[in-house]
Amino acid sequence: MMPDLLVHGLYIAYVLGFLLGLATIFTWVERKQSAVMADRIGANRAYLRIPFTQVKLVWWGLFHGIADGLKMIFKENFTPATYDRFCYNLAPWLASVPVLLVFAVVPFGGEVTPGRFFEPGSAAAEFFGDRSWRMQIAALDAGILFVLAISGVGILGTMLAGWSSNNKFSMLGAARAASQMISYEVAMGLALIAVVVTYGTVDLNDMVLWQQQAAWGILVQPVAFLLFLTASIAENKRIPFDLPECESELISGYFTEYTSMKMGLFLLSEFIEIVVISALVVTLFLGGYTLPFLRPEGFVLPGGATWELSHFAVVVLQVLTFTAKVFVVGCFQIGIRWTLPRFRYDQLMDLGWKFLLPLAALNLVVTAVVRWWTL
Amino acid sequence: MIVDAFIVLFGVLALVFAGIVLVARQPMRAALALVAHMTSLAAIFACLDVHVIALFQVLIYVGAVMVFMVYTIMLLDDRDLAYRKRFSATLVPGVAVAVVTGLALLRVLGPAGPGAPTTTTGLGPFSFSAFSAAFMTRYWLHFELATVLLLAGIVAAWAVIREER
Repeated sequence: MMPDLLVHGLYIAYVLGFLLGLATIFTWVERKQSAVMADRIGANRAYLRIPFTQVKLVWWGLFHGIADGLKMIFKENFTPATYDRFCYNLAPWLASVPVLLVFAVVPFGGEVTPGRFFEPGSAAAEFFGDRSWRMQIAALDAGILFVLAISGVGILGTMLAGWSSNNKFSMLGAARAASQMISYEVAMGLALIAVVVTYGTVDLNDMVLWQQQAAWGILVQPVAFLLFLTASIAENKRIPFDLPECESELISGYFTEYTSMKMGLFLLSEFIEIVVISALVVTLFLGGYTLPFLRPEGFVLPGGATWELSHFAVVVLQVLTFTAKVFVVGCFQIGIRWTLPRFRYDQLMDLGWKFLLPLAALNLVVTAVVRWWTL
Repeated sequence: MIVDAFIVLFGVLALVFAGIVLVARQPMRAALALVAHMTSLAAIFACLDVHVIALFQVLIYVGAVMVFMVYTIMLLDDRDLAYRKRFSATLVPGVAVAVVTGLALLRVLGPAGPGAPTTTTGLGPFSFSAFSAAFMTRYWLHFELATVLLLAGIVAAWAVIREER
Protein backbone atom coordinates (compact mmCIF):
# COMPACT_ATOMS: atom_id res chain seq x y z
CA MET A 1 0.00 0.00 0.00
CA MET A 2 2.62 2.58 1.07
CA PRO A 3 5.12 1.71 -1.70
CA ASP A 4 2.25 2.00 -4.21
CA LEU A 5 1.31 5.42 -2.89
CA LEU A 6 4.91 6.61 -2.91
CA VAL A 7 5.69 5.33 -6.42
CA HIS A 8 2.51 6.69 -7.97
CA GLY A 9 2.88 9.98 -6.08
CA LEU A 10 6.37 10.32 -7.57
CA TYR A 11 5.02 9.44 -11.03
CA ILE A 12 2.33 12.14 -10.78
CA ALA A 13 4.86 14.74 -9.60
CA TYR A 14 7.26 13.79 -12.40
CA VAL A 15 4.55 13.88 -15.09
CA LEU A 16 3.26 17.28 -13.93
CA GLY A 17 6.82 18.65 -13.99
CA PHE A 18 7.45 17.02 -17.37
CA LEU A 19 4.27 18.43 -18.97
CA LEU A 20 4.52 21.93 -17.53
CA GLY A 21 8.30 22.15 -18.04
CA LEU A 22 8.25 20.95 -21.62
CA ALA A 23 5.21 23.13 -22.43
CA THR A 24 7.12 26.17 -21.14
CA ILE A 25 10.15 25.23 -23.20
CA PHE A 26 7.92 24.86 -26.28
CA THR A 27 6.75 28.48 -25.87
CA TRP A 28 10.42 29.44 -26.23
CA VAL A 29 10.92 27.02 -29.13
CA GLU A 30 7.96 28.58 -30.93
CA ARG A 31 9.43 32.07 -30.61
CA LYS A 32 12.91 30.99 -31.61
CA GLN A 33 11.65 29.02 -34.64
CA SER A 34 9.67 32.01 -35.88
CA ALA A 35 12.74 34.19 -35.34
CA VAL A 36 14.99 31.83 -37.27
CA MET A 37 12.49 31.65 -40.12
CA ALA A 38 12.16 35.46 -40.22
CA ASP A 39 15.93 36.01 -39.88
CA ARG A 40 15.60 37.61 -36.42
CA ILE A 41 17.32 36.87 -33.10
CA GLY A 42 14.14 36.14 -31.16
CA ALA A 43 13.39 36.15 -27.46
CA ASN A 44 16.64 36.88 -25.60
CA ARG A 45 15.87 39.62 -23.04
CA ALA A 46 14.56 37.85 -19.95
CA TYR A 47 17.25 36.85 -17.45
CA LEU A 48 17.74 35.79 -13.86
CA ARG A 49 20.28 37.75 -11.79
CA ILE A 50 22.11 35.87 -9.08
CA PRO A 51 21.28 37.75 -5.85
CA PHE A 52 23.90 40.26 -4.59
CA THR A 53 25.94 39.91 -7.78
CA GLN A 54 25.83 41.40 -11.25
CA VAL A 55 25.87 37.93 -12.85
CA LYS A 56 22.91 37.60 -15.24
CA LEU A 57 21.79 34.19 -16.45
CA VAL A 58 20.34 34.73 -19.93
CA TRP A 59 20.58 31.18 -21.30
CA TRP A 60 19.41 32.01 -24.83
CA GLY A 61 16.20 33.58 -23.50
CA LEU A 62 14.90 30.39 -21.91
CA PHE A 63 13.51 32.39 -18.97
CA HIS A 64 10.95 34.10 -21.20
CA GLY A 65 8.52 31.30 -20.37
CA ILE A 66 8.79 32.10 -16.65
CA ALA A 67 8.40 35.82 -17.39
CA ASP A 68 5.24 35.07 -19.40
CA GLY A 69 3.80 33.01 -16.56
CA LEU A 70 4.51 35.72 -13.98
CA LYS A 71 2.95 38.34 -16.26
CA MET A 72 -0.22 36.25 -16.56
CA ILE A 73 -0.44 35.73 -12.80
CA PHE A 74 -0.04 39.42 -11.91
CA LYS A 75 -2.34 40.87 -14.60
CA GLU A 76 -5.75 42.29 -13.64
CA ASN A 77 -8.38 39.56 -13.57
CA PHE A 78 -11.01 41.42 -15.58
CA THR A 79 -14.34 39.65 -16.07
CA PRO A 80 -17.05 40.81 -18.45
CA ALA A 81 -20.74 41.13 -17.58
CA THR A 82 -21.49 37.55 -18.49
CA TYR A 83 -24.88 35.94 -18.15
CA ASP A 84 -23.35 32.85 -16.55
CA ARG A 85 -20.41 33.59 -14.31
CA PHE A 86 -20.23 30.00 -13.04
CA CYS A 87 -19.71 28.60 -16.54
CA TYR A 88 -17.29 31.44 -17.36
CA ASN A 89 -15.08 30.47 -14.42
CA LEU A 90 -15.45 26.72 -14.99
CA ALA A 91 -14.51 26.78 -18.69
CA PRO A 92 -10.70 27.27 -18.41
CA TRP A 93 -10.50 24.30 -16.03
CA LEU A 94 -12.67 22.09 -18.22
CA ALA A 95 -10.39 22.94 -21.15
CA SER A 96 -7.07 22.37 -19.37
CA VAL A 97 -7.59 19.51 -16.88
CA PRO A 98 -8.54 16.83 -19.49
CA VAL A 99 -5.33 17.62 -21.38
CA LEU A 100 -3.33 16.78 -18.26
CA LEU A 101 -5.44 13.70 -17.52
CA VAL A 102 -4.82 12.11 -20.93
CA PHE A 103 -1.15 11.67 -20.07
CA ALA A 104 -2.08 9.37 -17.14
CA VAL A 105 -2.14 6.31 -19.40
CA VAL A 106 0.98 7.12 -21.45
CA PRO A 107 3.96 4.92 -20.50
CA PHE A 108 7.06 7.11 -20.15
CA GLY A 109 9.40 4.23 -19.34
CA GLY A 110 9.50 0.45 -18.96
CA GLU A 111 9.27 -1.46 -15.70
CA VAL A 112 11.07 -0.10 -12.68
CA THR A 113 12.13 -2.06 -9.59
CA PRO A 114 13.00 0.64 -7.01
CA GLY A 115 14.41 -1.93 -4.58
CA ARG A 116 17.32 -2.51 -6.99
CA PHE A 117 18.38 1.16 -6.73
CA PHE A 118 19.49 0.65 -3.12
CA GLU A 119 22.01 -1.49 -1.27
CA PRO A 120 20.57 -4.99 -0.64
CA GLY A 121 19.41 -5.24 2.95
CA SER A 122 19.06 -1.48 3.41
CA ALA A 123 15.83 -0.06 4.82
CA ALA A 124 14.85 1.42 1.45
CA ALA A 125 15.42 -1.88 -0.35
CA GLU A 126 13.35 -3.66 2.30
CA PHE A 127 10.58 -1.05 1.95
CA PHE A 128 10.18 -1.59 -1.80
CA GLY A 129 11.05 -5.29 -1.81
CA ASP A 130 11.41 -6.86 -5.27
CA ARG A 131 8.18 -5.43 -6.63
CA SER A 132 8.13 -3.80 -10.08
CA TRP A 133 5.96 -0.97 -11.33
CA ARG A 134 5.25 0.14 -14.88
CA MET A 135 6.31 3.74 -15.47
CA GLN A 136 2.76 4.85 -16.15
CA ILE A 137 0.39 6.62 -13.73
CA ALA A 138 -2.64 4.46 -14.60
CA ALA A 139 -1.84 1.10 -16.19
CA LEU A 140 -5.29 0.61 -17.74
CA ASP A 141 -5.92 -2.32 -20.06
CA ALA A 142 -8.02 -0.02 -22.27
CA GLY A 143 -5.62 2.91 -22.37
CA ILE A 144 -6.47 4.02 -25.90
CA LEU A 145 -10.16 4.32 -24.95
CA PHE A 146 -9.13 6.54 -22.04
CA VAL A 147 -7.31 8.83 -24.48
CA LEU A 148 -10.39 9.13 -26.70
CA ALA A 149 -12.82 9.49 -23.78
CA ILE A 150 -10.96 12.19 -21.89
CA SER A 151 -9.85 14.20 -24.93
CA GLY A 152 -13.53 14.49 -25.90
CA VAL A 153 -14.34 16.24 -22.61
CA GLY A 154 -12.04 19.19 -23.41
CA ILE A 155 -14.48 20.37 -26.10
CA LEU A 156 -16.97 21.24 -23.35
CA GLY A 157 -14.56 23.80 -21.88
CA THR A 158 -14.09 25.51 -25.22
CA MET A 159 -17.83 25.68 -25.88
CA LEU A 160 -18.60 26.93 -22.37
CA ALA A 161 -15.94 29.65 -22.66
CA GLY A 162 -17.43 31.02 -25.88
CA TRP A 163 -21.02 30.73 -24.75
CA SER A 164 -20.60 32.26 -21.29
CA SER A 165 -18.50 35.23 -22.46
CA ASN A 166 -21.52 37.09 -23.89
CA ASN A 167 -19.53 38.16 -26.92
CA LYS A 168 -20.28 37.43 -30.58
CA PHE A 169 -16.62 36.78 -31.44
CA SER A 170 -16.32 34.32 -28.56
CA MET A 171 -19.55 32.61 -29.59
CA LEU A 172 -18.40 32.26 -33.20
CA GLY A 173 -15.05 30.93 -32.03
CA ALA A 174 -16.75 28.38 -29.78
CA ALA A 175 -19.05 27.21 -32.58
CA ARG A 176 -16.09 26.88 -34.91
CA ALA A 177 -14.00 25.07 -32.29
CA ALA A 178 -16.74 22.59 -31.46
CA SER A 179 -17.49 21.82 -35.12
CA GLN A 180 -13.81 21.42 -35.91
CA MET A 181 -12.97 19.26 -32.91
CA ILE A 182 -15.97 16.97 -33.41
CA SER A 183 -15.19 16.63 -37.15
CA TYR A 184 -11.56 15.70 -36.71
CA GLU A 185 -12.21 13.42 -33.73
CA VAL A 186 -13.99 11.01 -36.09
CA ALA A 187 -10.97 10.67 -38.39
CA MET A 188 -8.65 10.41 -35.38
CA GLY A 189 -10.77 7.63 -33.87
CA LEU A 190 -10.79 5.64 -37.11
CA ALA A 191 -7.01 6.04 -37.45
CA LEU A 192 -6.61 4.73 -33.91
CA ILE A 193 -8.87 1.74 -34.60
CA ALA A 194 -6.56 0.78 -37.49
CA VAL A 195 -3.64 0.96 -35.06
CA VAL A 196 -5.52 -1.21 -32.55
CA VAL A 197 -6.29 -3.79 -35.26
CA THR A 198 -2.60 -3.90 -36.21
CA TYR A 199 -1.22 -4.25 -32.68
CA GLY A 200 -4.08 -6.44 -31.44
CA THR A 201 -4.29 -4.59 -28.12
CA VAL A 202 -5.76 -1.43 -26.60
CA ASP A 203 -3.12 -1.23 -23.86
CA LEU A 204 -0.58 1.52 -24.67
CA ASN A 205 2.29 -0.28 -22.92
CA ASP A 206 1.59 -3.47 -24.89
CA MET A 207 1.62 -1.37 -28.07
CA VAL A 208 5.13 -0.13 -27.21
CA LEU A 209 6.30 -3.70 -26.53
CA TRP A 210 4.75 -4.86 -29.85
CA GLN A 211 6.78 -2.19 -31.67
CA GLN A 212 9.93 -3.26 -29.83
CA GLN A 213 9.43 -6.84 -31.03
CA ALA A 214 8.28 -6.09 -34.61
CA ALA A 215 8.71 -2.60 -36.06
CA TRP A 216 7.80 0.99 -35.26
CA GLY A 217 4.18 1.89 -35.98
CA ILE A 218 5.18 4.60 -38.44
CA LEU A 219 6.52 1.82 -40.72
CA VAL A 220 3.53 -0.54 -40.44
CA GLN A 221 0.82 2.14 -40.26
CA PRO A 222 2.18 5.20 -42.13
CA VAL A 223 -1.28 6.39 -43.22
CA ALA A 224 -2.64 6.15 -39.68
CA PHE A 225 0.41 8.15 -38.49
CA LEU A 226 -0.31 10.98 -40.94
CA LEU A 227 -4.03 10.91 -40.15
CA PHE A 228 -3.47 10.90 -36.40
CA LEU A 229 -0.92 13.72 -36.49
CA THR A 230 -3.10 15.89 -38.76
CA ALA A 231 -6.27 15.27 -36.76
CA SER A 232 -4.43 15.90 -33.48
CA ILE A 233 -3.08 19.26 -34.64
CA ALA A 234 -6.61 20.15 -35.76
CA GLU A 235 -7.94 19.08 -32.34
CA ASN A 236 -5.39 21.39 -30.73
CA LYS A 237 -6.70 24.27 -32.88
CA ARG A 238 -3.26 25.39 -34.00
CA ILE A 239 -2.22 26.83 -37.36
CA PRO A 240 -3.20 25.80 -40.05
CA PHE A 241 -6.35 24.81 -38.14
CA ASP A 242 -6.62 27.82 -35.81
CA LEU A 243 -9.91 29.19 -37.13
CA PRO A 244 -11.56 29.15 -33.67
CA GLU A 245 -9.08 31.75 -32.43
CA CYS A 246 -7.74 33.42 -35.56
CA GLU A 247 -6.84 36.97 -34.59
CA SER A 248 -7.59 38.54 -37.99
CA GLU A 249 -11.25 37.48 -37.84
CA LEU A 250 -12.24 36.78 -34.22
CA ILE A 251 -9.74 38.73 -32.03
CA SER A 252 -8.92 35.65 -29.91
CA GLY A 253 -12.03 33.59 -30.60
CA TYR A 254 -13.56 31.69 -27.72
CA PHE A 255 -11.21 33.18 -25.08
CA THR A 256 -11.42 36.82 -26.23
CA GLU A 257 -13.07 37.85 -22.94
CA TYR A 258 -10.52 36.08 -20.73
CA THR A 259 -7.58 37.80 -19.06
CA SER A 260 -4.84 37.02 -16.58
CA MET A 261 -4.28 33.39 -15.55
CA LYS A 262 -7.64 32.26 -16.94
CA MET A 263 -6.38 33.17 -20.40
CA GLY A 264 -3.04 31.70 -19.33
CA LEU A 265 -4.77 28.36 -18.70
CA PHE A 266 -6.13 28.31 -22.26
CA LEU A 267 -2.73 29.21 -23.70
CA LEU A 268 -0.82 26.82 -21.46
CA SER A 269 -3.23 23.96 -22.20
CA GLU A 270 -2.50 24.48 -25.91
CA PHE A 271 1.21 23.96 -25.31
CA ILE A 272 0.62 21.07 -22.89
CA GLU A 273 -1.49 19.50 -25.62
CA ILE A 274 1.50 19.73 -27.97
CA VAL A 275 3.45 17.67 -25.43
CA VAL A 276 0.58 15.19 -24.99
CA ILE A 277 0.05 14.78 -28.75
CA SER A 278 3.80 14.27 -29.19
CA ALA A 279 3.78 11.69 -26.39
CA LEU A 280 0.90 9.82 -28.03
CA VAL A 281 2.57 9.93 -31.46
CA VAL A 282 5.78 8.62 -29.90
CA THR A 283 3.92 5.86 -28.02
CA LEU A 284 1.74 4.77 -30.94
CA PHE A 285 4.12 5.17 -33.88
CA LEU A 286 7.72 5.78 -32.78
CA GLY A 287 8.40 2.94 -30.37
CA GLY A 288 7.60 4.85 -27.16
CA TYR A 289 10.36 4.73 -24.58
CA THR A 290 12.28 1.95 -26.34
CA LEU A 291 15.67 2.31 -28.00
CA PRO A 292 16.90 -0.17 -30.63
CA PHE A 293 18.75 -3.07 -28.93
CA LEU A 294 18.05 -1.73 -25.40
CA ARG A 295 16.74 -4.54 -23.18
CA PRO A 296 16.22 -4.68 -19.39
CA GLU A 297 19.75 -6.10 -18.95
CA GLY A 298 21.45 -3.51 -21.22
CA PHE A 299 22.25 -3.23 -24.93
CA VAL A 300 21.95 -6.60 -26.72
CA LEU A 301 23.47 -6.13 -30.17
CA PRO A 302 22.90 -8.40 -33.21
CA GLY A 303 25.34 -11.30 -33.10
CA GLY A 304 25.00 -11.73 -29.35
CA ALA A 305 27.34 -8.98 -28.16
CA THR A 306 26.03 -7.51 -24.91
CA TRP A 307 26.79 -4.25 -23.12
CA GLU A 308 25.42 -4.75 -19.63
CA LEU A 309 23.95 -1.78 -17.82
CA SER A 310 22.66 -1.32 -14.29
CA HIS A 311 18.90 -1.27 -13.75
CA PHE A 312 19.11 2.43 -12.85
CA ALA A 313 20.96 3.26 -16.11
CA VAL A 314 18.37 1.37 -18.19
CA VAL A 315 15.50 3.22 -16.49
CA VAL A 316 17.19 6.61 -17.00
CA LEU A 317 17.93 5.78 -20.67
CA GLN A 318 14.29 4.83 -21.28
CA VAL A 319 12.98 8.03 -19.70
CA LEU A 320 15.51 10.17 -21.62
CA THR A 321 14.68 8.39 -24.89
CA PHE A 322 10.99 9.11 -24.40
CA THR A 323 11.68 12.76 -23.54
CA ALA A 324 13.95 13.27 -26.53
CA LYS A 325 11.44 11.72 -28.96
CA VAL A 326 8.62 13.86 -27.51
CA PHE A 327 10.78 16.98 -27.85
CA VAL A 328 11.59 16.28 -31.52
CA VAL A 329 7.95 15.57 -32.45
CA GLY A 330 6.86 18.71 -30.55
CA CYS A 331 9.41 20.83 -32.48
CA PHE A 332 8.07 19.30 -35.70
CA GLN A 333 4.53 20.36 -34.77
CA ILE A 334 5.72 23.90 -34.07
CA GLY A 335 7.57 23.85 -37.40
CA ILE A 336 4.25 23.11 -39.11
CA ARG A 337 2.73 26.09 -37.28
CA TRP A 338 5.32 28.44 -38.84
CA THR A 339 5.23 26.83 -42.29
CA LEU A 340 1.63 26.42 -43.42
CA PRO A 341 -0.94 29.19 -43.95
CA ARG A 342 -4.36 29.08 -42.31
CA PHE A 343 -7.16 27.20 -44.10
CA ARG A 344 -10.45 28.80 -45.01
CA TYR A 345 -13.32 27.31 -43.01
CA ASP A 346 -14.82 25.45 -45.98
CA GLN A 347 -11.38 24.04 -46.82
CA LEU A 348 -11.00 22.92 -43.21
CA MET A 349 -14.32 21.08 -43.23
CA ASP A 350 -13.65 19.61 -46.68
CA LEU A 351 -10.30 18.28 -45.51
CA GLY A 352 -11.86 16.69 -42.45
CA TRP A 353 -14.99 15.13 -43.94
CA LYS A 354 -14.15 14.62 -47.61
CA PHE A 355 -10.49 13.62 -47.40
CA LEU A 356 -9.33 12.49 -43.95
CA LEU A 357 -12.48 10.55 -43.01
CA PRO A 358 -12.70 8.48 -46.25
CA LEU A 359 -8.94 7.93 -46.11
CA ALA A 360 -9.18 6.75 -42.49
CA ALA A 361 -12.05 4.41 -43.37
CA LEU A 362 -10.12 3.02 -46.35
CA ASN A 363 -7.03 2.55 -44.19
CA LEU A 364 -9.11 0.66 -41.65
CA VAL A 365 -10.59 -1.64 -44.30
CA VAL A 366 -7.15 -2.36 -45.81
CA THR A 367 -5.71 -2.96 -42.32
CA ALA A 368 -8.56 -5.33 -41.46
CA VAL A 369 -8.09 -7.29 -44.70
CA VAL A 370 -4.31 -7.55 -44.22
CA ARG A 371 -4.78 -8.58 -40.60
CA TRP A 372 -7.34 -11.17 -41.67
CA TRP A 373 -4.87 -12.75 -44.08
CA THR A 374 -1.88 -12.60 -41.75
CA LEU A 375 -3.59 -13.97 -38.63
CA MET B 1 -12.78 -0.36 2.59
CA ILE B 2 -11.44 2.71 0.74
CA VAL B 3 -13.07 1.51 -2.47
CA ASP B 4 -16.42 1.15 -0.68
CA ALA B 5 -16.07 4.70 0.64
CA PHE B 6 -15.41 6.00 -2.87
CA ILE B 7 -18.42 4.10 -4.25
CA VAL B 8 -20.65 5.67 -1.59
CA LEU B 9 -19.14 9.12 -2.28
CA PHE B 10 -19.67 8.91 -6.05
CA GLY B 11 -23.12 7.35 -5.54
CA VAL B 12 -24.17 10.34 -3.42
CA LEU B 13 -22.67 12.73 -5.97
CA ALA B 14 -24.54 10.95 -8.79
CA LEU B 15 -27.82 11.33 -6.89
CA VAL B 16 -27.17 14.99 -6.09
CA PHE B 17 -26.31 15.85 -9.70
CA ALA B 18 -29.31 13.88 -10.97
CA GLY B 19 -31.47 15.98 -8.65
CA ILE B 20 -29.89 19.17 -10.01
CA VAL B 21 -30.68 18.02 -13.57
CA LEU B 22 -34.35 17.86 -12.56
CA VAL B 23 -34.57 21.17 -10.72
CA ALA B 24 -32.10 23.42 -12.56
CA ARG B 25 -33.96 26.07 -14.56
CA GLN B 26 -31.09 27.13 -16.79
CA PRO B 27 -30.62 24.57 -19.60
CA MET B 28 -26.80 24.84 -19.59
CA ARG B 29 -26.66 24.24 -15.83
CA ALA B 30 -28.89 21.18 -16.23
CA ALA B 31 -26.64 19.86 -19.01
CA LEU B 32 -23.50 20.39 -16.90
CA ALA B 33 -25.16 18.61 -13.96
CA LEU B 34 -25.92 15.72 -16.31
CA VAL B 35 -22.25 15.66 -17.34
CA ALA B 36 -21.24 15.53 -13.67
CA HIS B 37 -23.81 12.77 -13.05
CA MET B 38 -22.44 10.67 -15.94
CA THR B 39 -18.89 11.22 -14.69
CA SER B 40 -19.91 10.09 -11.19
CA LEU B 41 -21.42 6.92 -12.66
CA ALA B 42 -18.19 6.33 -14.58
CA ALA B 43 -16.25 6.75 -11.34
CA ILE B 44 -18.46 4.09 -9.68
CA PHE B 45 -17.73 1.69 -12.56
CA ALA B 46 -14.01 2.46 -12.24
CA CYS B 47 -14.16 1.70 -8.49
CA LEU B 48 -15.75 -1.65 -9.36
CA ASP B 49 -12.74 -2.38 -11.64
CA VAL B 50 -14.78 -2.39 -14.86
CA HIS B 51 -12.63 0.27 -16.51
CA VAL B 52 -13.96 -0.38 -20.02
CA ILE B 53 -17.56 0.35 -18.98
CA ALA B 54 -16.37 3.47 -17.13
CA LEU B 55 -14.52 4.67 -20.23
CA PHE B 56 -17.47 3.96 -22.52
CA GLN B 57 -19.65 5.90 -20.08
CA VAL B 58 -17.40 8.95 -20.50
CA LEU B 59 -16.67 8.39 -24.19
CA ILE B 60 -20.27 7.96 -25.34
CA TYR B 61 -22.34 9.96 -22.88
CA VAL B 62 -20.01 12.80 -21.86
CA GLY B 63 -17.77 13.01 -24.94
CA ALA B 64 -20.46 12.52 -27.59
CA VAL B 65 -24.06 12.84 -26.39
CA MET B 66 -23.51 15.68 -23.92
CA VAL B 67 -21.21 17.57 -26.27
CA PHE B 68 -24.03 17.70 -28.81
CA MET B 69 -26.51 18.73 -26.12
CA VAL B 70 -24.23 21.55 -24.96
CA TYR B 71 -23.72 22.55 -28.60
CA THR B 72 -27.47 22.79 -29.09
CA ILE B 73 -28.00 24.76 -25.87
CA MET B 74 -25.15 27.07 -26.90
CA LEU B 75 -27.06 27.97 -30.04
CA LEU B 76 -30.40 28.60 -28.25
CA ASP B 77 -31.72 32.13 -28.29
CA ASP B 78 -30.57 33.64 -25.00
CA ARG B 79 -33.54 36.04 -25.02
CA ASP B 80 -35.92 33.08 -24.71
CA LEU B 81 -36.70 33.03 -21.00
CA ALA B 82 -39.28 30.24 -21.15
CA TYR B 83 -37.18 28.16 -18.80
CA ARG B 84 -37.82 30.67 -16.02
CA LYS B 85 -41.50 29.65 -15.80
CA ARG B 86 -42.08 28.40 -12.30
CA PHE B 87 -44.36 25.44 -13.02
CA SER B 88 -44.77 23.20 -16.02
CA ALA B 89 -48.00 21.55 -17.13
CA THR B 90 -46.18 18.22 -17.16
CA LEU B 91 -45.12 18.52 -13.50
CA VAL B 92 -47.87 16.28 -12.10
CA PRO B 93 -47.47 13.36 -14.56
CA GLY B 94 -43.67 13.76 -14.22
CA VAL B 95 -43.77 13.39 -10.45
CA ALA B 96 -46.23 10.48 -10.75
CA VAL B 97 -43.91 8.63 -13.18
CA ALA B 98 -40.92 9.29 -10.88
CA VAL B 99 -42.76 7.86 -7.86
CA VAL B 100 -43.94 4.78 -9.78
CA THR B 101 -40.42 4.19 -11.15
CA GLY B 102 -38.96 4.52 -7.66
CA LEU B 103 -41.43 2.03 -6.22
CA ALA B 104 -40.78 -0.41 -9.09
CA LEU B 105 -37.02 -0.19 -8.52
CA LEU B 106 -37.54 -0.75 -4.79
CA ARG B 107 -39.66 -3.80 -5.58
CA VAL B 108 -37.10 -5.28 -8.01
CA LEU B 109 -33.86 -4.33 -6.30
CA GLY B 110 -35.09 -4.43 -2.68
CA PRO B 111 -33.75 -7.02 -0.23
CA ALA B 112 -36.34 -9.62 -1.25
CA GLY B 113 -36.69 -8.67 -4.92
CA PRO B 114 -35.60 -10.83 -7.86
CA GLY B 115 -32.83 -8.37 -8.74
CA ALA B 116 -31.36 -8.22 -5.26
CA PRO B 117 -27.56 -8.11 -5.34
CA THR B 118 -25.93 -11.50 -5.02
CA THR B 119 -22.39 -12.34 -4.06
CA THR B 120 -19.89 -12.16 -6.91
CA THR B 121 -17.65 -14.88 -5.53
CA GLY B 122 -16.48 -17.18 -8.31
CA LEU B 123 -16.55 -14.54 -11.04
CA GLY B 124 -13.22 -13.92 -12.72
CA PRO B 125 -11.68 -10.45 -13.07
CA PHE B 126 -13.05 -8.23 -15.84
CA SER B 127 -11.29 -8.63 -19.16
CA PHE B 128 -11.74 -6.55 -22.29
CA SER B 129 -11.71 -9.54 -24.67
CA ALA B 130 -14.30 -11.49 -22.64
CA PHE B 131 -16.51 -8.40 -22.51
CA SER B 132 -16.19 -7.88 -26.29
CA ALA B 133 -16.99 -11.53 -27.04
CA ALA B 134 -20.06 -11.53 -24.76
CA PHE B 135 -21.24 -8.22 -26.17
CA MET B 136 -21.02 -9.35 -29.80
CA THR B 137 -22.61 -12.77 -29.19
CA ARG B 138 -25.11 -12.66 -26.31
CA TYR B 139 -26.07 -9.04 -25.85
CA TRP B 140 -26.02 -7.37 -29.25
CA LEU B 141 -29.76 -7.92 -29.82
CA HIS B 142 -30.60 -6.39 -26.43
CA PHE B 143 -28.35 -3.46 -27.26
CA GLU B 144 -30.04 -2.90 -30.61
CA LEU B 145 -33.48 -3.18 -29.01
CA ALA B 146 -32.47 -0.45 -26.55
CA THR B 147 -32.02 1.90 -29.50
CA VAL B 148 -35.75 1.57 -30.16
CA LEU B 149 -36.29 3.17 -26.74
CA LEU B 150 -34.03 6.03 -27.77
CA LEU B 151 -36.03 6.46 -30.96
CA ALA B 152 -39.24 6.55 -28.92
CA GLY B 153 -37.66 9.23 -26.71
CA ILE B 154 -36.74 11.34 -29.73
CA VAL B 155 -40.26 11.05 -31.17
CA ALA B 156 -41.73 11.99 -27.77
CA ALA B 157 -39.47 15.06 -27.52
CA TRP B 158 -40.42 16.10 -31.03
CA ALA B 159 -44.13 15.68 -30.22
CA VAL B 160 -43.79 17.83 -27.08
CA ILE B 161 -42.09 20.62 -29.03
CA ARG B 162 -44.79 20.48 -31.75
CA GLU B 163 -47.51 20.71 -29.13
CA GLU B 164 -45.97 23.75 -27.42
CA ARG B 165 -45.79 25.59 -30.73
